[in-house]
Amino acid sequence: MGRLLLIALRNLGANRRRNLLLGTAIAAVTALMILLGSVGNGIQDTMIDAGTALVSGHVNVSGFYKITAGRPAPVLVHRQQVLREVAQLVPEARLIVDRTRGFGKFVSETDSVQTGLTGIDIERDREILRVVQVLKGSVEDLAGPGTVMLYEAQATRLGVGIGDRVTLTAPVLRGTNNSVDVDVVAIAKDLGLLSIMSCYVSKQVIQDLYLLDPDTTGTIQIYLDDPDDAAAVEARVKLGLEKLGHRLMDKLDVPYFHKFQTIAAEDWTGQKLDVSTWKDELSMLDWTLKTFNTVTMLLTVILLVIIVIGVMNTLWISIRERTREIGTLRAIGMSHGRVLVMVLLEVFCLAVGASAIGVGLGAGLSQVLTWAQIPVSEGFQVFLLSDTLKLVLEPGGVVAALVWIPLLITFFSLFPALRAARMRPITAIHHVG
Amino acid sequence: MRTTILSLLAVALLVPGVARALDDVQMHDLLKRIDDRQQNQGDYKALAYIEAKERGKSDRVQEAVIYRRDEEDKLMILLLKPKSERGKGYLRMEKNLWMYDPTVGRWERRTERERIHGTDSRRRDFDESRLAVEYTPRYVGEESLGKFKVHHLRLEAKSEADVPYPVMEIWVDAESENVLKAQDFAASGKLMRTTYTPRWKKAFSASKQADVWHPAEIRIYDEVEKDNSTLVLIKEIDLGALPANIFTKAWLESKSR
Repeated sequence: MGRLLLIALRNLGANRRRNLLLGTAIAAVTALMILLGSVGNGIQDTMIDAGTALVSGHVNVSGFYKITAGRPAPVLVHRQQVLREVAQLVPEARLIVDRTRGFGKFVSETDSVQTGLTGIDIERDREILRVVQVLKGSVEDLAGPGTVMLYEAQATRLGVGIGDRVTLTAPVLRGTNNSVDVDVVAIAKDLGLLSIMSCYVSKQVIQDLYLLDPDTTGTIQIYLDDPDDAAAVEARVKLGLEKLGHRLMDKLDVPYFHKFQTIAAEDWTGQKLDVSTWKDELSMLDWTLKTFNTVTMLLTVILLVIIVIGVMNTLWISIRERTREIGTLRAIGMSHGRVLVMVLLEVFCLAVGASAIGVGLGAGLSQVLTWAQIPVSEGFQVFLLSDTLKLVLEPGGVVAALVWIPLLITFFSLFPALRAARMRPITAIHHVG
Repeated sequence: MRTTILSLLAVALLVPGVARALDDVQMHDLLKRIDDRQQNQGDYKALAYIEAKERGKSDRVQEAVIYRRDEEDKLMILLLKPKSERGKGYLRMEKNLWMYDPTVGRWERRTERERIHGTDSRRRDFDESRLAVEYTPRYVGEESLGKFKVHHLRLEAKSEADVPYPVMEIWVDAESENVLKAQDFAASGKLMRTTYTPRWKKAFSASKQADVWHPAEIRIYDEVEKDNSTLVLIKEIDLGALPANIFTKAWLESKSR
């Protein structure tokens, strides 16, 4: 076997120019695959990171309250009690916070903006600080009553700055419209889709606006050390809350604001709890990931097909050129099998070497691009929830590239290698090349 | 030197109508006097003509009746004209400002920033004065406003006060103690509104056994949308007693039926 490997390596060295070209092509495709994979991982990471900080916990217990069957509100009553129960059901939780939810219209002196509202207790709930970049003012001032943090686009449209007062108005559970005045205390950098459809207010603003009892909230967000545990924790929380006598909603894997229509059509009143995971709440972003992954997959397949065809073609040429050499080897006693292994080893060595270089190249490029903080277009920001591209290199992807690319190329080299192995020595020696 | 000081003092004392700097107590007393002069111990009714100019739109003229019961902090603004908006109204009770729209038959709770009937006016422009209760004054200086010598005061809203703007500057006629000019500011310092009250009138109140002062003309200029302005003329003051049940939602609703 060692001798065969030596012959294979010598053959690689003998046809240096051709193998260099082929190796470069394999390395380039591998590097591109690593790069695309890193972009995909980066997009996924950015979205999940931003999404779980801004709109969802890893697991959420949300309340829907209906005074009449057709009028649902994002309200969870008996906040303290449910918070205690959730804490008992998920003792391993890294953080449990609650946020109020609503939907209203901000009216300034010059314009108005309709948006979703999230009420937070900034002293306890620090998750948004991981993602939000405050341009003006201080997010800490959200601790004060009657305060709002707007995104840049919202503030620009309303024509307001730090310290300005805007009126927030919304229809309340009783059927009338209510208004409260809020002071702009912070303006944050736009965060794609979320800067169009949400903003943060102090928790009590939503309670005042909707005339709610202080012991109410909108959703309880549970943060775990490992987001992958979300499904198991969701199942446990559901079971636990049901045992404790709470009425639970049927699973709907859409964000909470998409659930209102379905809930309004259901014939019940009072409170029902809805347990969801970050995947449900961020499902609106999921198609972006799926689209990107599909495009990446297609591109990778096309590139791999091109490479495989290139390798097979080169191998056909190589075998044809070396017909007499193979015939001589067969004449002096080399078996069919050993010829086959010799050819395959040659391709495998080339593929392994080139893939390793490609992985190194792709990984290096990923690091450089992440470091460069490449800005993304405004259109893409809408879905990415970030203004720069982050690339994340996954060890699994690196190993897969190192294993699968050489194996695939070697597998498709089997056909020309078999042809070489089946050659009759007398025919091969008489071959005029 | 002593002669010079005495001469200057004599000149200062002899020149009539010159405003002098006020200390904290004097400022508070001034604000209290302004409030007291405008408050009635009984009821108050007036007719208001409101003319609003808005950029790119034709001028709107409205007529409304103002009802007040100062001792109970109650106010009602009922729109009479134009006919298409007749019956719309505002009711302030228990520190809440409600708006009623008879076309949909709904009440909506509004804040102090509410533009009354879409004009540049606010609830405060039609209500009794509460400057001493709602604001902490700081003396800016003695100034001239046209031919008037005025005290220029900067008022900052007290934390518990529910006011449309957190900061306000007023120019008070040193002689008559009428507020001639006011400017409203956002907390950021942005100038939002300038109001001139060039004409003030008084009427004798039997319940108060004294005169009640009221602005006869208010000119409001929107400082954000520069071309917008509103003129309010207050007429036909009646300080007689109003029906007991007038400050109710039901009463206002009945006016549009």
